[in-house]
Parts: sequence; structure tokens; C-alpha cells
Amino acid sequence: MSGPPTRSTERLRLEAISKRFGATIALAEAGFEVRAGEIHALLGENGAGKTTLMNVLSGLYHADAGRIWLDGRPAEIAEPRDAIRHRIGMVHQHFELIPPLTALENVIIGQEGSTLLLRRERQARGVAALAARFGFEVDLRAPVAALGLADQQKVEILKAIFRGVDILILDEPTTVLTPQEADALLRTLRTMASEGLSVVFISHKIHEVLGHCDRATVMRAGRSVGTVDASATTEQALVEMMIGERVARTAAPAEREVDDTVLLRVDDVTVAGRGGLPAVSHARFSIGRGEVVGLAGVDGNGQRELVEAIVGLRRVTGGRVELGGRNVTTTAVGDRLAQGLAYIPEDRLGDGALPSMSVAENLFLGVHRLARGGGLTYRPAAIRAGAAAPVRDYAIRGTATTPLGMLSGGNIQKVLIARALAVAGHGDTPLVVAHNPTRGLDVRTTEFVRRCLVDVSRRRGGVFLVSSDLDELMQLAHRILVLFRGAIVADLPSTAFDAYEIGRLMTGAAARA
Amino acid sequence: MRNALAEIAKYAFAFAVAALAGAVLVAVMRGDVLGAYRTFVWSSLGTAGGFAQTLNKMCPLLLGGLAVGLALRGGYFNIGVDGQIYAGAIAATGVALALETVANPALAPFAVVVGVLGGAAFAAIPAVLRAWWSVNEIFVTVMLNFVAVFLTEYLTTGPWNDVMAGEAITRLIPDAAKLPMLSVRAGSHVGIFLALASAVLVWLVLERTRWGFEVRALGDNERAARVAGIRTAWVTAAVLVASGALAGLAGAIEVTALHHRLILGLTPGYGIMAILIAVLGKARPLGILAASFAMAILLVGSDSLQRSVGLPASAALVFQALIVLSVLFVDAKRSVRA
Amino acid sequence: MSASAVVTLLLDPELWRLMLTMAAPLVLAGLGELVMERSGVLNVGVEGMMAVAAAVAFLTMLKTGTLLGAAAAAMAATLGLAVVLGYFAITLRSAQLTVGLCLFVFGTGLASLLYRLVIGVTTATPTVQTLPRLAVPGLAEVPFLGTVVFTQNALVYLALALVPVLAFLLVETSLGLRLRAAGENPRALDTVGVNVRALRYGAVAVGGLLIGLAGAYLPLAVTGAYSDGIVGGRGWIALMVVIFGRWQPGWALVGAILFAYTEALQFKLALVTKAVPPQVLLMLPYVVAIVVLVRLYQGAEPPRALGLPYERESRL
Ligand SMILES: Nc1ncnc2c1ncn2[C@@H]1O[C@H](COP(=O)(O)OP(=O)(O)OP(=O)(O)O)[C@@H](O)[C@H]1O
Ligand SMILES: [Mg+2]
Repeated sequence: MSGPPTRSTERLRLEAISKRFGATIALAEAGFEVRAGEIHALLGENGAGKTTLMNVLSGLYHADAGRIWLDGRPAEIAEPRDAIRHRIGMVHQHFELIPPLTALENVIIGQEGSTLLLRRERQARGVAALAARFGFEVDLRAPVAALGLADQQKVEILKAIFRGVDILILDEPTTVLTPQEADALLRTLRTMASEGLSVVFISHKIHEVLGHCDRATVMRAGRSVGTVDASATTEQALVEMMIGERVARTAAPAEREVDDTVLLRVDDVTVAGRGGLPAVSHARFSIGRGEVVGLAGVDGNGQRELVEAIVGLRRVTGGRVELGGRNVTTTAVGDRLAQGLAYIPEDRLGDGALPSMSVAENLFLGVHRLARGGGLTYRPAAIRAGAAAPVRDYAIRGTATTPLGMLSGGNIQKVLIARALAVAGHGDTPLVVAHNPTRGLDVRTTEFVRRCLVDVSRRRGGVFLVSSDLDELMQLAHRILVLFRGAIVADLPSTAFDAYEIGRLMTGAAARA
Repeated sequence: MRNALAEIAKYAFAFAVAALAGAVLVAVMRGDVLGAYRTFVWSSLGTAGGFAQTLNKMCPLLLGGLAVGLALRGGYFNIGVDGQIYAGAIAATGVALALETVANPALAPFAVVVGVLGGAAFAAIPAVLRAWWSVNEIFVTVMLNFVAVFLTEYLTTGPWNDVMAGEAITRLIPDAAKLPMLSVRAGSHVGIFLALASAVLVWLVLERTRWGFEVRALGDNERAARVAGIRTAWVTAAVLVASGALAGLAGAIEVTALHHRLILGLTPGYGIMAILIAVLGKARPLGILAASFAMAILLVGSDSLQRSVGLPASAALVFQALIVLSVLFVDAKRSVRA
Repeated sequence: MSASAVVTLLLDPELWRLMLTMAAPLVLAGLGELVMERSGVLNVGVEGMMAVAAAVAFLTMLKTGTLLGAAAAAMAATLGLAVVLGYFAITLRSAQLTVGLCLFVFGTGLASLLYRLVIGVTTATPTVQTLPRLAVPGLAEVPFLGTVVFTQNALVYLALALVPVLAFLLVETSLGLRLRAAGENPRALDTVGVNVRALRYGAVAVGGLLIGLAGAYLPLAVTGAYSDGIVGGRGWIALMVVIFGRWQPGWALVGAILFAYTEALQFKLALVTKAVPPQVLLMLPYVVAIVVLVRLYQGAEPPRALGLPYERESRL
């Protein structure tokens, strides 16, 4: 971190940056300015262009027009190499790490220090010293794949500061962190900023912006709407800048009527994981009619395995799963769906979407095994007609015949939700299992999805909501289970909801106590 | 409209590249280039006999292309069409020879059905391995091609050998096992109708049945299909077996309608040409139909050049690969600009 | 055959020597493919590339009589094919499986075509001298191992030497680190300022050269003649060897040896037994390959970006 830092000197200015991808205009003359030593937040809905703008700055994308100024001089950044030379570092929204390589190798790659031989020991000492100085200690010898997301993030940050940075860009860094970890990161960033580093901090969480950043620039539809001082604005004002209108907050779920009908019973379920260790061990809970049960946990503590065991995609090594009183432990996925179990997978594109098939065909998938009539035959016209209603009701931007892969992430999610709810509607035990259903969605779509889930419980279906967003869980769920290393360590009624307490449980406080 | 024109231009370009390569080859061999073009077109399309030959060649190419295409729609590469053609041919020859004394006209269709089953059974090996053991079907099908060739060599030189011929061929099958000719003078057989009917059938199954929908879903995203409750292992196995059945039909037709016996070298690489045909036809029955017709012309035309200017038969493979590479080239260039 | 006769046959040093001789082309082609795949480029056209190399090597040897010239010509030819693969896979970002299959067909046709064009139709197949065996002084006399390992032709020694060299290169050098990164997450490599495209082209070129040497080996060291089926599936087996070896050179060598053993065994068996038809013995290596494949796929994790074209501005 070079130069005499004074808080008001301009370090970086992006001026009228434009960028289009085919027909989409991602950036339309966007720009803002960052001072030395400040933490500058970048806010905006999904697709507003935040990541694109930062990718332009880090040389990954080539802007169609616009200029970049560094310390008052025009800078030419055409390649990632140029950005590194200008001491700009970026921690990407989806980490750019190489999983089988060690943390050390990930940090030094590209700057190995010698052209031929890797001198790991010598490099390790330098990197470890750097890590100690800023509090980013990680096991440098471990393969990145074996590290938790918080540690992976440290590796990413180390990678940037190892190359030397005056400007550090962090794209949604707190999405993968517990509240405690997020606080720690923000405090470290503050220390670094006080030494002169400029930080660009992208986040959807407005309280972080208000609490920890100096200024905030809001983007909407590829343009910069404005820059405000964090101390002189409010949450409501920022949201309005982001979406240009007011949004109603999701109504809380209906008060649960006392009803003992159990839709799902998970009884002592154990699922094998990698290397012999159980991914889920002795999980036990049930979900009743009209109930929304949340599952909190740091990513990678067995959520995926538990959910897949319930849906039938993964074999359980012990225990039982019951749907509406019937034992379905070894029942095929299709037969569980036929009972009304609906699944909204976390990995939308990987587990949900048929990218080159049409919206109508995607809506028909899964439902095709349940719909009565038609039997063997497949009638394209009828299927297209059947898609009209969901396309309208869910405000899917596209037509029945648009290939799904052409839609944006939020619209793909709407299709998957429409499909899941249709499946739930066909069976006698309507239960929706939703895994991170709003991750990466913007405020408006998030609200929509949440309302859909609440409606399911209002119609006396059950919802199993697995989410890494604590606010979401606390807003929607009647009960929250906490998962830590494959075990359910707490079952909290809504009266006991407290973000910090749940955060502690998620990181193993109950196990230690 | 614009699009259709661009597509036509693309294929014109691809065939022009192949034609140019052909001209260079003929020139290298000191042949008469224009004369060669004339021979090429005349021999494959210009005479009744030539056209009949083209249709006869088109039959295994179309069926093979459908076999590869069907598997491809389910997301799998069947590189074993050659082996499955042999399997079908072996099965058909086997029943025909075993029932040599039964002079029942039903023998021919029966032999064809058995051939279809032979192809299907042979494809069942990669199908089961893929579906339940996740063993890559490409390798298994390739390895089985070699197995099938050696099996054919054994049968044609061993137990079923025609001792009079002194070649790796079997005895002739009985007349009752022969499929009728379409035109005896021109020399075309009814196989082409079976192949065309198969194309229609494949289209109907893929586009108009729920099972076909499941196949397409599987090919687009296997995980998503599984998550949506489709029994993907069964669909996988079925689609690969069906693919083998189509190839088996091709083999049975070659025996019962064309050669009237099993011969080593029954397929001069129809299986690998079928891959190119399926790719060219974008795995759609109609596209495969067009591509197999074009490739059949190319085969018959090149064949005549072998006789007139001594162009080696393997040139056809080179031309076909050039055509597909040219198409890939244009596709890539266009998508880069878009 | 008695049990002891079977053991004697299975452990026959001549059999084991033949095994290493037959393993060399699988090792060379396997290492070539491994380098490509480690960088993220899948080449299923090995069989066709080897065929071209075999034809070119044989024809050059026949016309010029120089071994080095023959090997060099073969490698130049496959380098050309590899560049074509690279152009489609890296620059044009076509589907690599499709391009590879095209190369397979193209190479198969081209090899046969070249041979016919140069030789014409003859009754007597022309032949060339095969590579001499070089006994390593001192080591060749060691019982068993001497015969098996130290009385091989030069290319076998080269192939065996390349295995540790490549393993070292991959793990202990900056270049190896970057190569592995290119096959796992090219974007990560790009963001730290390394040229992914150049790295991949380099890997494809090196792979092409090695595959060329593997193809040249067949006429120059084994058959002394060319015939259309000369490669006989070894290109495909080389692909399996890579998977068998879990993308590690050392384990790929083990895989190559395993396949080569069945191949050598089939030769030997054909000599000692007349009861089994030769075609059944000829099937043996392919059947074994399938059986091995079943085990092969359990838990094989290819490089994550294998077969995926990299494009900086695309989100995939
Ligand atoms: N590589 C790309 N190819 C095509 N379109 C893209 C690409 N990157 C971004 N886009 C499009 O550009 C627009 C801006 O996307 P960007 O990723 O910058 O949004 P964002 O503000 O970071 O959103 P999020 O909050 O979801 O991360 C979107 O419409 C997106 O679909
Ligand atoms: Mg973003």
C-alpha cells in the first residue's frame, strides 16, 4: 500500500463505461469514483452490472466504451495482467480458485518467483508472514477443496494482497460467511483501509453497507444511480435507489394452527459422506401441515446430503424417511414426487434446468409423470398451452417456447418454482423442500419467491427451507434447526430466534459447550 | 429465410471444400479433374443403376446415423455401430443358415427381426455398463467393434465358411431368407423403405411420446432429469439398446437384401461415417436423412473414381471428415460473430 | 496344461519383454494425451493421429531409410493434426468430442490414402528394417530384469524415461502448476495474468508430438510394415490408460503395462495352443480392456475443465 493516504484524494475513477453481451446491455455509461483509504460499497439488484463493472476494472472484460483513471492519470487495462500491474486485486463472487491445488499454490500461481522450479518452502514463509500480518491465517499446505468457504475466501484475499494491491475489490464476500465471520472481515478491511487501501465492497446486505462502509454507489440496469455517504442515508432510501420503487415485505407465515398431521418424518437418518465420515448423522425431525421449518448452517455441513436423502437422490445408510406416514426410505425419486414432495434444488442450472429445452418443456418435466390423461403420447401444442398460465402468474420474462438457458437466473428460478409447486399440487402430502431458493436473486424476485413459500404453508402444505441466509430463515420459519457437521445441534422455536446465537450454533458452539 | 439461406450456404461451402480436396487428389494422381467430377455425379445420380446403388448405400448410413443420433439425443456417443451392424448381420445369417431347410417366406422378416435383436443385444453390454456402472460408453463400444470383427472373421473363415470361395465369407442364405428387390434391373432393394420407416419411427418416438421427452431431457441435463424423478438408468439403457437395434437392422438388411451372406468387411466403416452423419444432421431424423443421402452419393461417387482414376476408397472418409470440419468451422465463426 | 506350465508361461521373461515393447506406444500416446488433458483439452482422435503417424513414418522410412527422418516426419504430421485440434478446440471453441471424432475419421482415412497414393496396389507388401534392440551393458545380464527391461529398443527407454520427467514437470515446476491450473479452472489462471490459450496450445502441440512418436513406433519398432488396421485400437486404449492412471504419469505407465501384458500374452498363447481359434485370442485384449474399464470408472475424477473451451467473457 503505497502513497501518502489522505482520505479525500481520488484514487480511482471509472467514467462512462459501457458493455454489452450480445443483445443484453450490461453497462450503460456506468461509473463512480473511489478515494484512497475508503471502503466504498457497490449496491444494486441482480443483473444491475456490479460484477461486470468490476470485471472491466480487473481486465477480465473488455469495455465497449469508457475510461479508467488511476491517481488522476488515464489507465489502459486490457488484460488481467495490466490490472495486476496497476495494483488492482479482485476477490470474485464465485471464487476463482483451483480446488485440487494447495492454498499456497493458489496464492503464488502466476508469480511463482522462479521460472522453472517451484520453491514452495521459501514462498510459504513469505505468504505466511503476509497472512499473519492481516489475520488471514489458513493452512497453506491444505488443498483448497478441503477448506471451508471462509478459509477459501482468505486464500482469495491473500492471493490479491500477495501481488500487492492499492485497490481491493470484494464481490459479495459476506454471502458465504456467518455473521461473526462477516464482522471480522469487515473489521480487518477497516484496518487495511486506515493504512491507505481502497476497498470496493459489493453486497446485497444493506446493514453491512450502512454499518461498515464510507460511501455507497447504487447501480440500476447498468447505470450508476448515485453515490451517497453511508452516514447520511437510510435503508429505505438505498432500496428505493436500487429498484426505483417501494417493495412490500413478505407477510410473515400464517400463525400455525395446531395440527398433528405429520407430512415428513426424518427419523435417525445417517448419510455417508466422503472418506467414511458421515455427512449427516442421526438427523431427527418432522414437519407438520402448514409448517415452515428452516435449516440453518454454514455451507457444506451436510445440508445438501440431508436434502438429497429426503428427496431420494442419495442413499441413506441408516434411519428412515416417512412421507405422510408412509415409509419412503428406499422409494425412488419419482414415486416420492408422486406423493406431493416437491424439490427446489440449490444448484439451479446443474440440478434443475434443461437449458436447451423450452420453458414449456421445463415446466412439464417431472409433472409429465404425474399428469393424468395422455398416457404415452406427448402433445407439444397442449404442453405449450399449459405453460401459458405459469408464465403469466409467475411473471416469467420469456415465452413458452424460449429455451430456458436464455433466461436470467431469477427467471430460471421462477420456472423451477412453478414446476415444484405444480408437483406439490398433484400429491396428497404437499411438501416443498427448498434449498437456498433465493440465493443470488434480487430484492424483488426474492420477495416473490418467499411469498410463494408462505402461500404453500397457508394452503396447509409443509415447507422445508434450507438457507444460508439467516434473515430469510428468521422471517419465514416457524422453527429453525441448526446443522453443524452433519448433526442437528438445535431446534429453536420462533421465540428463540437470534441471529448471533444461531451464528454461534452454526460454528459449533453447542458442540464445544 | 435469412437463416435458411445461411444454412444452405454453409453446406455448400462444406461440400465445396470436399470437392476441392477431391480435385487436388485427382490432380496429384494426374487424372482429369473435370472428367472426375462428371464421373462422380453421373455414377451416383445419373443412371438408374447408379441411383439404385446410392439408395443401397444410403440404407446402412441412414440407419447408422439414426442409431448414433438417437443415442446422442439421450446424451450418449455410440461409436460401436460397426460392431452392432456385425452383430445384427451375424444373428440374421445365423438363423437363416440354421433354418436353411425351412422354405417359408416368413423366414426373411424373421431373420431381419433376429438381426435387430442381435444388434440390440450387443448394445446391451455398453448400455448396462453405462446405466448401472457409469462406465463410459465410448470406450466400451469401440472395444466391442474389435470383438465383433474378430467374431465375424472367425465365423466367416470357420464354421460358416463357404469352402468354395476361398475368402472370408459364409455360405449363401436360402432364398426364403432374402428380402425382395425393388428393381431387379437397377439392383436396388427394399432396405431403403425399412430405413425410411425407421427414420419416421425415431422421429415419432422422440417428439411425440413421453419416453422420447425423457430421452431428450436426459440428453439435455442428466442430473435435472434424475432430480425430476425420471429413472435415468432405465432410460439410458433403453436408448442405447434401441440405438443398437437400429444398427442391427442395418446389418440384417445388408445380409438379407444385399450380400445374401455374412462377409468380413460387411461394413467398410459405416459406423464411423454414421457418427459424422449424426453430427451433420444435428441428431434430428430429418437432418440425418439429408446427410446420409449426401454421404451415400459421396461414397458411390468416390467408388466410381476408384475404378476410373484409381482414387483409393479411403478418400471418402477424408472427404466426409472435411465436410464436417468445414461445417463446424462455419458454425463456430458464426457464433463468434453473434 | 499343468499349473506349473501355466506359471512358466505367465512369467516367461520373453513374454515380459514383449510386454514392455508393446507398452511403449501406449505410454507415449498416453503421456501425450495426458499432457493435453491436464491442460483441459480432450483429444479423442488419438487413434486417427496415430494412424497418420504410422503411415508417414513407414513411407518416409521406406523412401529415405533414415529412422530419425521417419520419426520426425511422423511427428510433424501429428503436430499438424494437433494444431488443427487446437484451432477448433481452443480458438473456435467447438465441441471437443466432435472435433476429436472428426480427427479420428480423418486420420484413419488419410493414413490409408497416403499409403495407397505412394505405394499403389501391390501384391508384395513392402517392409522396412525395424529398430534394433540395444542391450544396456552390464544391466542386460541381470536375470529376468535384464531381459525384460534392458534389451529393448531405444524408444522403449525413451518412453520409460519420459514418465518420471513428466511427473516431475507437473508437480515441481511453475509450468506444471500452471498446466494443471489450466485444466482445473482456466479462469482462475487467467485472472492472475497467465495466458491460458498459449498454455493450452503448447500442451496440445507437445501431446501431438508424443502421439506421433507412438504412431511411428508401430511400423518402425514392431511390424516393419504398414497395414490399415495397424493401430488396432491402441489410440483408444491410450485414452483409457490416462483414465486408469487418474491423470498421473506413473499410474498411466502401470495401466499401459497392464494392457500390454494381455496383448503380449495373446501373441504367446497363439504360439503354444492350437485348440483356441486365433480370433478368440485376438479378442482378448479388448475384452480385458472392457473388464478393466468397469473398475476404471469408480471414482475417476478428470480435470474439472476437461473438454470445456475457455472464453474469457462467457460465464460458463
Ligand atoms: N459473461 C456474460 N455473458 C453474457 N451476459 C452477461 C455476462 N456477464 C454478465 N452478463 C449480463 O450482464 C448483466 C449484468 O450482470 P452482472 O453479473 O454484472 O450483475 P450483478 O450486478 O453482478 O448481479 P448479481 O447481484 O446477481 O451478482 C446481466 O444481465 C447479466 O445477465
Ligand atoms: Mg455479481
